[in-house]
Amino acid sequence: MKEFQIEAVKPPKLVGVEVAEKSWKILEHQILVICNHNKSNHSLDLEELDRNAYKMAWHKCGEQPYSGLVSILTSQLEKIATSLEDYDGALFLEELVRKWTAHIRAVEVIRHVHMYISSTNKTKCTYVQIIRNVHMYMDGSYVRTERTPVHELGLDLWRDNIVRRFKIQERLKYALPELVQRERRGEVINRGLMSNFVKMLLFFGTPVYRNVFEAPLLNVSHGFYRGESQLLIKSRGCGDYLKETEKRLSEEIERVSNYMDRMTERHLINIVVDYMIQRHVNKLAHMKNSGFIGMLMDDKYEDLARMYALFKRTPNGLGVIRKGIAAHIRNIGTQLTEPERLNDPVDFVQGLLDKRDKYDKIINLAFNNDKMFQDAFNSSFEHFINLNPRDPEFMSLFVDKKLREGLKGASKEEVEIVLDKVMRLFRYLKEKDIFEKHYKQHLLKRLLANTSVSEDAERSLISKLKTECGSQFTSKLQGMFIEVKSSGDTMKQFYEATGHELGDGPTLAARVLKTESWLTQSTTTCNLPSEILTVADRFETYYSHSRKRRRVTWQTNMGSADIIATFGDGQKHELHVSTYQMCVLMLFNSGDGLSYKEIEKATNISTSDLKRCLQSLACIKGKNVLRKEPMSKDIVEDDMFFFNDKFSSEFYKVDVGTMVEFEFEEETRKRVKVDGKHEIEAAIVRIMKAQRALDHRNLVSEVTKKLQSRFSPDRVEIKKRIESLIEREYLKRDKDNSELYRYLK
Amino acid sequence: MRRASSKKASSNSTTSTNSSAMDLFRSATGKAATKELERIDQLFYSYSNESSGMIDPEGIEYLCSDLEVEHTDVRILMLAWKMQAEKQGYFTLEEWRKGLKALHADTIVKLKKALPELENEVRRPSNYVEFYSYAFRYCLTEEKQKSIDIESICELLELVLGSQFPQQVDFFVQYLKTQVDYKVINMDQWMGFYRFCNEISFPDFNNYDEELAWPLILDNFVDWVKSKQS
Repeated sequence: MKEFQIEAVKPPKLVGVEVAEKSWKILEHQILVICNHNKSNHSLDLEELDRNAYKMAWHKCGEQPYSGLVSILTSQLEKIATSLEDYDGALFLEELVRKWTAHIRAVEVIRHVHMYISSTNKTKCTYVQIIRNVHMYMDGSYVRTERTPVHELGLDLWRDNIVRRFKIQERLKYALPELVQRERRGEVINRGLMSNFVKMLLFFGTPVYRNVFEAPLLNVSHGFYRGESQLLIKSRGCGDYLKETEKRLSEEIERVSNYMDRMTERHLINIVVDYMIQRHVNKLAHMKNSGFIGMLMDDKYEDLARMYALFKRTPNGLGVIRKGIAAHIRNIGTQLTEPERLNDPVDFVQGLLDKRDKYDKIINLAFNNDKMFQDAFNSSFEHFINLNPRDPEFMSLFVDKKLREGLKGASKEEVEIVLDKVMRLFRYLKEKDIFEKHYKQHLLKRLLANTSVSEDAERSLISKLKTECGSQFTSKLQGMFIEVKSSGDTMKQFYEATGHELGDGPTLAARVLKTESWLTQSTTTCNLPSEILTVADRFETYYSHSRKRRRVTWQTNMGSADIIATFGDGQKHELHVSTYQMCVLMLFNSGDGLSYKEIEKATNISTSDLKRCLQSLACIKGKNVLRKEPMSKDIVEDDMFFFNDKFSSEFYKVDVGTMVEFEFEEETRKRVKVDGKHEIEAAIVRIMKAQRALDHRNLVSEVTKKLQSRFSPDRVEIKKRIESLIEREYLKRDKDNSELYRYLK
Repeated sequence: MRRASSKKASSNSTTSTNSSAMDLFRSATGKAATKELERIDQLFYSYSNESSGMIDPEGIEYLCSDLEVEHTDVRILMLAWKMQAEKQGYFTLEEWRKGLKALHADTIVKLKKALPELENEVRRPSNYVEFYSYAFRYCLTEEKQKSIDIESICELLELVLGSQFPQQVDFFVQYLKTQVDYKVINMDQWMGFYRFCNEISFPDFNNYDEELAWPLILDNFVDWVKSKQS
């Protein structure tokens, strides 16, 4: 055997795979250390880590570690999972989060290492970057946004081994919502923990978040709010209940923003709204005393606003309130317009205005000026305002009072405010023509008696009416103004031209008006006292002279006069009287103790007017400038009248009644007709109730007989009333005899 | 347009609520009668709406085309009357049974054949008043509704009285369309018009007395016609 001397060969330099193997072993160990979040010797680990990684990269062997990584991590995670199963409740969650945070860090480190190893172009400059990043991540202050294969791997592994592990998942599904429930019940929980968990789940994608967290949470939320709402609805009034609901809602929203994903907000809100509000919408709205009716009556703006905001979240909640309010307004409105309550028209209209203001305010403050609410409100108002046929008249009376007294001393703005409010009510009226008719009559009185508080206010209202109804509506009204004004000018001119001739006679203030605009009655005249005649004739001459082809006729039933009368003890009083009254009184200048017949002859005033006139002069306490014999209330032909020397009044100026007596025929006629309807109907019912069955001819004659002392009912009207009663099922026609009516009620 | 053939598929659907009634029927009548009832029911289901369990307006249209009758024809109204149908445009099972049983019709062919006889029956004076009054009630669609608008009344008048009193109907419809006092007609006025057609000589109105209990609308109508004639 030859003897060979084998030289001790130097161990070959560790190259390629061998280097990789060695480095890898070190790396593996270090990774494990990190995975177990052993924080000691941090920097040392890192340096080692880097060196080894560097070596591996240098030797260009990047493939091997990948599969190695998978196996390390998987076995690690197995261990973690098993250990987690031993924990429970809050501890479970905390431990899980801890492991997770560590895992993330490890993955990040590994990622860098891997990148380092597997890249072929790693240069020193990026090396520094990597180190820095790794440092940052170890501190937990760096959040990765992009994903890399290693990152993905780490997450997938975590998801598959931990999150998807059945027992853990089940625990998560229970524990996470349980924390939320505790917070709902008032406990303080670890929000940071929750936030971390949610972030973790979100890492794995929305489906995982939904499956593990959101769905179980929504589930328990259903139960929670179902119970909560049922408990509260039994014990709280509506306002309180809604306050609670609002609180809960904002809690949930805050909760979501703090530690959940935004997508959950919508679902939670839906649950709260559904259980707390939607299911109890009707109960809440109509709750006795505390429901919306109570809120409306007490002007609880805050509560109403809350109700509005909350009900708006439901599909039909606002509709419920809206319909309820509309019905409520209709009800109270209908009550307001019941005939028995209508003692004072002016109060009534003021009440309407106040109601309107109230609801305007409510819609503004509580319902966000919601147009649908405005509409519902308007239509309810419109409904009950038109229930009473006399409403247009009442509104005119209201305006009349305002323009005569109410707006005295008011500033321009105040006037505008009041008139605008009136206009808003006016818009609701269906029978605007009736309003116009009454308004014209009232305006006429105001203009002639000069009782209007402000011409500007009058004009302002007319122009508002014009805007609303067009110029046709108001043309006549505007004409009236112009005529009154021009009459004033005419008088001035008259006195300038003829004043010197008239000397000490009575002062005339004539109003020249075109016949068609003003008159609803036929002209009546009477004999004027001679002093008046003088100046009146003078005026007539002047007028027809200056305006050719125009004829003037004195409307003696519309005028007024101021007379100074001297009574028994030298007492003087200035009496404000109507033209007729003046004619009568002037007679007593030339004689006393005049009979009715004499007065009638001298003045030539029509019978009904004269009787009214004498009544107002002789029979009214405090205004009886004449004495009547006998002292009865009614005027009869044999009465005698004397100048009342003993008349006294604490005032110098006495208003003995101007044109108050003078009623428009039409108005009276109309009033009779309106009352007639009710009277006829009442008579029919009374007769049929007594007779049970009656034929048409006899019924008509009975009704006529019954009412003959008051007025003679119109045959057509009677038929109308009968038919109305048939429709309302008070009467019915007999089956066999078509002429027979039977009483039903 | 979908044909009725698809609707006839539900012959196997069972009545849920009326099975006890069916049983009573079966036990009370003979076998032939039972067969008839079954066919009547089957016929019903071929037109009825699955979800509502009633024949709805669409079903009625199909029925009409099968009967070869316009669905605005008065005979459909007469059929409704025979059934005492409550809601315009709908037939319930009970109503259907009532009507068809009375007409002894358990197939479309038989029903079609029964129509002329039904017409005769309705036109008998004793029945016509009832039919006339039914026609009005049938058109009241809303709860608590008591009157019908002028437009619909004119159509109804044509349908129900057009053949019997063509002149009166013609004039009255004209009057209704031109006047402004009435926007709706109530039952009393409706019945009044029928009595008017039957009793008052036309077009001279010699025996009309407005002092009697005629509804006011007829007084106005007579005045209107007279003023047109002069």
